[in-house]
Amino acid sequence: MGLGKYITARVAWAGIVSLVIVTIAFILMHFAPNPAIQQAATDAALQGNDPQEAIERAEELRGLDRPIHVQYLDFLQNVYTLNWGWSEYRSQPVPQALLEGLYYSAQYSVPWTILTLLIGPLVGVYSAINMYSWKDHLATGFAFFGFAIPNFFFGIILLLVFAIWLGWVPVIYNPDVAVFSLENIRQLILPVFVLVTGSIGGIMRVSRNESAEFLNADFMKTAKAKGVSPMRAYAYHVMRPTMVPLSTTVVGQLLAIFLGSSVLVEVVFGIPGLGRLTFNALINQDTNLVLGSLLVFTFIGVVGNLIEDLVFTILDPRISYDDR
Amino acid sequence: MATKKPDRFDQVDWDEFTDSTGLSISINTKLMLVAALPLVALYLFDRFRVGEREKTFPKLGEDLGLSGLFETLGLDYNPSNLDYLFIFTIFVFLIYLVLPLYQNPRMTKYYWSEFKRNRPAVVSLVWLGIVFVGGLLGPLFIKRPEQDILRGHQPPAFYHISENHVPRCLGEVSNGRCHGTWAHPLGTTQGGKDILDVIIHGMTISMKIAFITTLIVATIGITFGTVSAFSGGWVDEIMMRFTDIVISFPTFILFLLVLYIYGATLGMFIFVFAIFSWGGTARYVRSKALSVTEEEFIKATNISGASKYRIIRKHVVPNTASSIITQLTLLIPGFILFEAQLAFLGLGDSELPSWGQLIASGRSDLSFAPWIVLAPGFVLFLTILAFNFLGDALLDALNPQAEAEADK
Repeated sequence: MGLGKYITARVAWAGIVSLVIVTIAFILMHFAPNPAIQQAATDAALQGNDPQEAIERAEELRGLDRPIHVQYLDFLQNVYTLNWGWSEYRSQPVPQALLEGLYYSAQYSVPWTILTLLIGPLVGVYSAINMYSWKDHLATGFAFFGFAIPNFFFGIILLLVFAIWLGWVPVIYNPDVAVFSLENIRQLILPVFVLVTGSIGGIMRVSRNESAEFLNADFMKTAKAKGVSPMRAYAYHVMRPTMVPLSTTVVGQLLAIFLGSSVLVEVVFGIPGLGRLTFNALINQDTNLVLGSLLVFTFIGVVGNLIEDLVFTILDPRISYDDR
Repeated sequence: MATKKPDRFDQVDWDEFTDSTGLSISINTKLMLVAALPLVALYLFDRFRVGEREKTFPKLGEDLGLSGLFETLGLDYNPSNLDYLFIFTIFVFLIYLVLPLYQNPRMTKYYWSEFKRNRPAVVSLVWLGIVFVGGLLGPLFIKRPEQDILRGHQPPAFYHISENHVPRCLGEVSNGRCHGTWAHPLGTTQGGKDILDVIIHGMTISMKIAFITTLIVATIGITFGTVSAFSGGWVDEIMMRFTDIVISFPTFILFLLVLYIYGATLGMFIFVFAIFSWGGTARYVRSKALSVTEEEFIKATNISGASKYRIIRKHVVPNTASSIITQLTLLIPGFILFEAQLAFLGLGDSELPSWGQLIASGRSDLSFAPWIVLAPGFVLFLTILAFNFLGDALLDALNPQAEAEADK
């Protein structure tokens, strides 16, 4: 199987995974009591009407009396054409509300991803070069600290110290600040720091262990013997092969942290992004918005895994596609 | 060390071996049966005999005519379904993991000498031991913390805060500062709950998550992995594709959906996370099982006429056990963290006094009562850290050759 075929198969696979997830969401929603219909029944009962009739009318209004496969196909069509309904809580269409959330989430996610990808491998390779020295131990200690400290707890502590006690950063997030301004940097520095600390540990560990293997490889000895400067040797002969295995874990790790922590970090720091939107939708029982934001997270996850696999195959041409 | 005389071929009691191929059960299985039977009996009693609003143990005392004895012993517990599962899991853990260590002192000694070299891991083990014992026995001796507004905001022992923040200081008051007392060594919350008590009850929750999810993940993962490896062909293909879907599932997001629709109890949390977390274990067991099958001794066993089930049960699973244990140890902190996150958001089981909930409750008073957030936060941090250190050390002690692979 050639590269082109492999990519096609992998993209099709991502499509299937997303379909399975959407189907599970549909099944869960279908067999759950719908609050709106129960509300209709209660209202009817209070007004002296027949609750059963009200339930039927409410179901008809929402198209819930049709056979299940028709509803399912309808649901699929709506999901894939981005026709995600109206958000009661935000009083706007769901995709628009999600886009607004994404605008704020991207403001901290982009610097966080870039910083993690820059610092993580660098520190990892650095501690491999100085393996078992105090620098290595310090970096390893930091890595363990990073992935063991709960992001939300760390965020609260940093807010207490730097915002409340020292007053260096604002306590309350201001969504009206321009994106590229000093103020925005000041209010985003803590969330970015918390997320970088949480995600960098795993990447540092992987790149440290991976690059240790290349430090004593024959091509490194050759490079040294030829008189290549250490900087150049590390950059070209250690860093580059390290990036390949690293790329398989990076996206997955970043995604896991993004999916899990964005809600927490946004709630702690008061950022009105996607995570907060999901949280508020849950609290306010806004079914369309809940479903919409979950779909966004799902698609981010599926597409992220897809990109990870594709990047891996392109970076490492030695891999055969036959047994995959 | 007195070494056991190696078995000589002519001295082997072959009758013993003929028996062992039949339905003989090991001492561990017997113990497990002895331990599980009363538990199952109690569960059935609870299920069919005890009413919705009755408590299990007082009712049992009534039925046995021992009410007086039960009352003097203070047996008034009312275990939930999750409690039964938890205790069952503890039995499995003790009988199939701790007891074999005792039965096989030579390997235990070797493991311990390897493990001991990693000092942070030894400290972690001690800390996890404290959390384990605290979580197991604490709730039996310490009553569930209750609201008492008058006891609100008491500072921890050795700490003092301005009197203005405390409704009624229980300790000494000097220079307008309220000092903490040993009645509440870690202070109290705004509602007057003792923080140490809440933390100990929180340990139970964390231990329940750690043990029950691990049992479920291990059961599904090992079964799925070995069956897939031994079936081969299209069965293997379908099972592994299915595993792929499970692995790429956004569990946290799915759980939010389940929580939104059905509400969230701790049992639901454990169920959902366990059901979607076995993918990695299954994949791992499969690849391990495939490589073990290639070994000479498996071929020898096969030629000797051992059944497939026996090969899997007696040779493949034990040979993969150490890697599975390591992998599971590294899964647990993620579960505990997720539970704390959900409880912090107020989306967890609001009935349960968990660490995340405590952290959330202290957020508004952070500027003058930081202990409410700090105490549970550090306990959570230490527990997660300890599991990570432990997993790392187990990796070195149990399977040194896998160290490089599994770190990836």
